Amino acid sequence: MRAVRWFIAIVVIAGVCWLFPLFHVVTLKTAAAEKAAVTFNATLFAETFWTNQLVPALPKCSPAEALIALIQTDPAVAKKKYSRGAGGGDSYFYFVSGAGKIIAVSDDEISIAVTAGSTNAEISLQTGLIFGNALRDGTGLLSPSDYPNSQDYNDISAALNHIVETSVLPNLKAQAKVGAKISFAGCAEVDDEAADLKPLKVVPVRAESNPAP
Amino acid sequence: MKTNWLKLALAVLLVTAAMLFTQTSAAQSAPKGKIAVVVSTLNNPWFVVLGKTAKARAIELGYDATIFDSQNDTAKEAANFENIIASGYKAILFNPTDANGSIANVLKAKAVGIPVFCIDREINSTNAATAQMLSDSYSGCVKLGQLFVKTVGKEGEYAELLGIVGDNNTWNRSKGFHSVVDRYPGLKMVAQQSGEFDRAKGLEVMESILQAHPNIKGVFCGNDSMAMGAYQALVAAGKDKDVKVFGFDGADDVVKSIAEGKIVATGMQFPKKMAQQSAEFADEYIKGKRDFAQKIAVPVEVVTKENVGKYGDYGKK
Repeated sequence: MRAVRWFIAIVVIAGVCWLFPLFHVVTLKTAAAEKAAVTFNATLFAETFWTNQLVPALPKCSPAEALIALIQTDPAVAKKKYSRGAGGGDSYFYFVSGAGKIIAVSDDEISIAVTAGSTNAEISLQTGLIFGNALRDGTGLLSPSDYPNSQDYNDISAALNHIVETSVLPNLKAQAKVGAKISFAGCAEVDDEAADLKPLKVVPVRAESNPAP
Repeated sequence: MKTNWLKLALAVLLVTAAMLFTQTSAAQSAPKGKIAVVVSTLNNPWFVVLGKTAKARAIELGYDATIFDSQNDTAKEAANFENIIASGYKAILFNPTDANGSIANVLKAKAVGIPVFCIDREINSTNAATAQMLSDSYSGCVKLGQLFVKTVGKEGEYAELLGIVGDNNTWNRSKGFHSVVDRYPGLKMVAQQSGEFDRAKGLEVMESILQAHPNIKGVFCGNDSMAMGAYQALVAAGKDKDVKVFGFDGADDVVKSIAEGKIVATGMQFPKKMAQQSAEFADEYIKGKRDFAQKIAVPVEVVTKENVGKYGDYGKK
């Protein structure tokens, strides 16, 4: 009788442990794979964002010629009409596209006049090393509120800048010649109006240049 | 017997009157209730400014406000939260000690209906705090990194003093800085050690780095307290003219040192602005507002000798 009681108790305890295990045995390999699965992959995210959100949003860019005209005459009105802010500080962004004529080319920038008849550098397409958050923050498509860890959100900037450097700039630099026509779209961050507006420094998302006629 | 009854009645009357007077005074001093300000440490002047400003703004808005010091210890922080929850506070303005370790405390407050507004430092969650007002450390350090390359040059050895390793600000600052300097292969980081955001520790770490690497040309520090400690070590070693020091925070002593040409630059974080805004958020919440952005990145501005005149008193003049 006593043996039966012990048997029933062991069966009950075994059943409870099977239903509600006290611990799980996981191999180190599986644990590493699970951790990698939940780790944010900024490179993959940036590639998907670029294709599925950023490029499709280019038709929503502000027109460069109108923006530059307002910047020349009244930067405050230009800011009010076309910019988007970031967090309540003084810096702001333009998401801009347009066409113009290349007036100078260097290792770090392509200077463009977008106003008809102008020979001034009104847009400076950035073609050197790309730093900062112009592409991440310039479109309004991404928000820090969507990321539990801001390090992930910041990694997106680095990944987007990498795409520009590796996918946009090589062709652009090969095509760009003084006197040629160029069409472009991208984002500009304005921290210091005295330094960043004239010319407007644009990180390109898309840029195509045709040879001079 | 009659006299005893009269004495008793008089005593009851006096006690009742005293209680009514006390309650009226308390109501007059804090008609809207109490707000707690929990600060990671009061051992750093920057956080003292953050805490005092949040408290002052809460009082201006009509609340009774108390500062709690977590002493950079999550256990102490947890005890502060227990105390706050038990004491009937209406909101918590919170500067966390640990991005992951502090989440549980915030959730405890949320569970009993107390809103938590994070200031400066974040927690790794988007559904615990009501809102988080955070310095955009990464962007600020991208700009500092660009200035570092311009000032120190594209070649040479340098060191980095990290903050507290469990804090996201430490890594956002480090990553922002490295997103620039790592692009220049001639710049070689020969030492990267934690100074735990502390001046004395920064001095100690810098002394040992200088012994092992006497040829460094620059040092990037994750906050201004460590920058001041590092500068002190450089002065003691007679290398303050050879090694460029960069900080982050916008602390008053560093802003003055920039004006004097001792430190090259810092990132101004605007602690007063963040603290005041957080107190205003708490007030809005108590009045019924619920739709707050979860994370608000407050831009950081680079302070150099050229523009230092525009800054002071933990913000823009």
